[in-house]
Amino acid sequence: MGHNLSPRERVLNQLMGKPVDRPPCYNGMGNVTTAGIDQLGYRFAELHEDAAKMAAAAATSYKLFGYECAVVPFDFCVEAEALGCTMNTYEDVNHLLYPTIKEKAIHGQPDPAAIAIPEDLVKRGRVPVVAEAIRLLKADIGAEVAIGSYLLGPITLLGQMMDLDKLFRLCFKEPDLVNSILDKLTQVTVTLARHYREAGVDYVCIREMGATTDVLSPKIFRKVIMPHLHKIFAAIDYPAILHICGGTNTVVDQMAGAGASAIAVEKKNDVVKTRETIGSEPLVFGNLDTYDLLVNKKPEDVQQAVLESLDSGVDAVWSGCDIWPTASIENLKAMVDTVRQYGAEKWRRQRG
Amino acid sequence: MVTNSAEQEVLNELRDGVINYDEDSVREAAKKALDLNIAAKQAIFDGLIPGMVEVGRLYEEQEYFVPEILMGADALYAGLDILKPHIEDEDMSIKGTVIMGVVQGDVHDIGKNIVKMMFSVAGFEVHDLGRDVPLEKFVEEQLRTDSEMLCLSAMMTTTMVGMQEIIKKVKDKNPQCKIMIGGAPVSEDLAEKWGADGFAKDADNALKEAIKMIESLRHL
Ligand code: B12
Repeated sequence: MGHNLSPRERVLNQLMGKPVDRPPCYNGMGNVTTAGIDQLGYRFAELHEDAAKMAAAAATSYKLFGYECAVVPFDFCVEAEALGCTMNTYEDVNHLLYPTIKEKAIHGQPDPAAIAIPEDLVKRGRVPVVAEAIRLLKADIGAEVAIGSYLLGPITLLGQMMDLDKLFRLCFKEPDLVNSILDKLTQVTVTLARHYREAGVDYVCIREMGATTDVLSPKIFRKVIMPHLHKIFAAIDYPAILHICGGTNTVVDQMAGAGASAIAVEKKNDVVKTRETIGSEPLVFGNLDTYDLLVNKKPEDVQQAVLESLDSGVDAVWSGCDIWPTASIENLKAMVDTVRQYGAEKWRRQRG
Repeated sequence: MVTNSAEQEVLNELRDGVINYDEDSVREAAKKALDLNIAAKQAIFDGLIPGMVEVGRLYEEQEYFVPEILMGADALYAGLDILKPHIEDEDMSIKGTVIMGVVQGDVHDIGKNIVKMMFSVAGFEVHDLGRDVPLEKFVEEQLRTDSEMLCLSAMMTTTMVGMQEIIKKVKDKNPQCKIMIGGAPVSEDLAEKWGADGFAKDADNALKEAIKMIESLRHL
């Protein structure tokens, strides 16, 4: 194992079970910063529908603070839009807002028979924009850093397409109905994962954000979330990471068995406990606070949090969720530098 | 109020029906209560409400999750629909009127919906503006309805800052309107800094705080 692994080699070797010199510092969610966007003279709202701007903005995290990946897109609406929802980018609002679904595709009681996955899914909505951004990133910095993308897990996607309160009730009252819809939506996740792979991604992160135990019980998780995640990870033939936000300690055993190359968790997950629950496999990524730490605190606090995170047993230092765009470059540099400097020595797996 | 064992049994059925989020059994028990001439108000306050309080406790203990709360509330409303027409009006005076919503750019409405549910169960009249609500809309609706309270929710740090503007505009035009803010990134300090009248970290505290605010208004 050479000491001059490129970020891309470090990320991919680890995901494929090969030895690496130290934990990498990257993520599988949004990591674009206001500093990066400003430097290019863009506005956040104009990045989502323009492949060149999206790619250029995504590349700034590597260029500005040495992040070991580049990830597109930045929002949660791509799949839902391809399935008929409409999005709001808040073009006319001055401060930074994340896009949202303006018009849901399913009204009233959902009917699995009426939910058709379009044949030309990969041509719908902004899927071509994201795929093109991936190609551009690959050509720009893809030789040095890992190129990633993310897709919503089926229940999070369905939550974007229909009223969430209704969906929650249905999970109890008609789990079979929900499962048959989610089963269809797994096709969306798998089809897009393959499509992005053809465009050049090195890894994909499956984000089941709505499935946190802050909201749903471990029982529902087993009944309506896990079966589909199993299918998805079995069908993706390149590195794929499962990420769930919020509290996850009570479902982490299930997450670990989903078949992902790694699982990624946020600050609310106690990684020491996670390791006690699941043992040494699979890889666990996490779990830096995205706002209170990276935006509000100072570089020395960031350094300490990174060391604590490594000490608790993470295998790669990831932000717990999308890096908040207003995080300072100083803090983000401190994050990357701490992993570079102390990663090898602090890495629990290496220490045995 | 004296309760014999048949009455007590019905009250237990109402309570358990809510805890087990079983709308049908709550409806049945509500009809039984009326047949037994149990006062509607008693059926609500000694049957349905204790059930909902227990649901809240189970949520705090992490035995129940968001869907269970929503369905418990459904069961409670199923009972209220039957019992409410049978109560004397003065028994159920409205505690206060509230405008509530999640600020622009933010779709995180799970928490707001729980707060709303608690408020309406407690007897507040809640006008829910939903999620991703333009800042102006809060101001307009508050002035239009002259609500006693305005409740703002935000789950993101970018959207939370929009609250400041809403608070200022509403207070300029209608200084006695009580404003309470909440959502994970919001804090007591921010509430104070932005001129809100209160903050609560969860639905339970939100309700307690709201009752205090309304009382202070009515003692003016
Ligand atoms: C579920 C969820 C989603 C769902 C939301 C579904 C819905 N309809 O609500 C989906 C998947 C759609 C989603 C999307 C996004 N999300 Co999100 N999401 C979450 C998650 C996991 C849980 C939130 C939740 O519902 N908690 C449970 C409820 C019950 O708790 P609560 O909301 O705190 O409410 C309680 C109290 O706060 C209080 N309260 C709430 N409102 C009010 C109001 C008043 C007046 C009072 C007094 C009290 C009060 O009482 C409530 C009950 O006790 C959190 C992470 C987390 N663990 O918090 C991230 C989180 C909120 N999301 C986040 C992000 C980044 C996003 C996205 C931007 C991702 C993206 N790249 O697009 C988008 C946002 C799009 C947009 N513009 O809005 C970040 C925000 C970071 C920040 N610093 O601002 C979080 C914190 C994750 C993280 N760790 O970084 N998300």
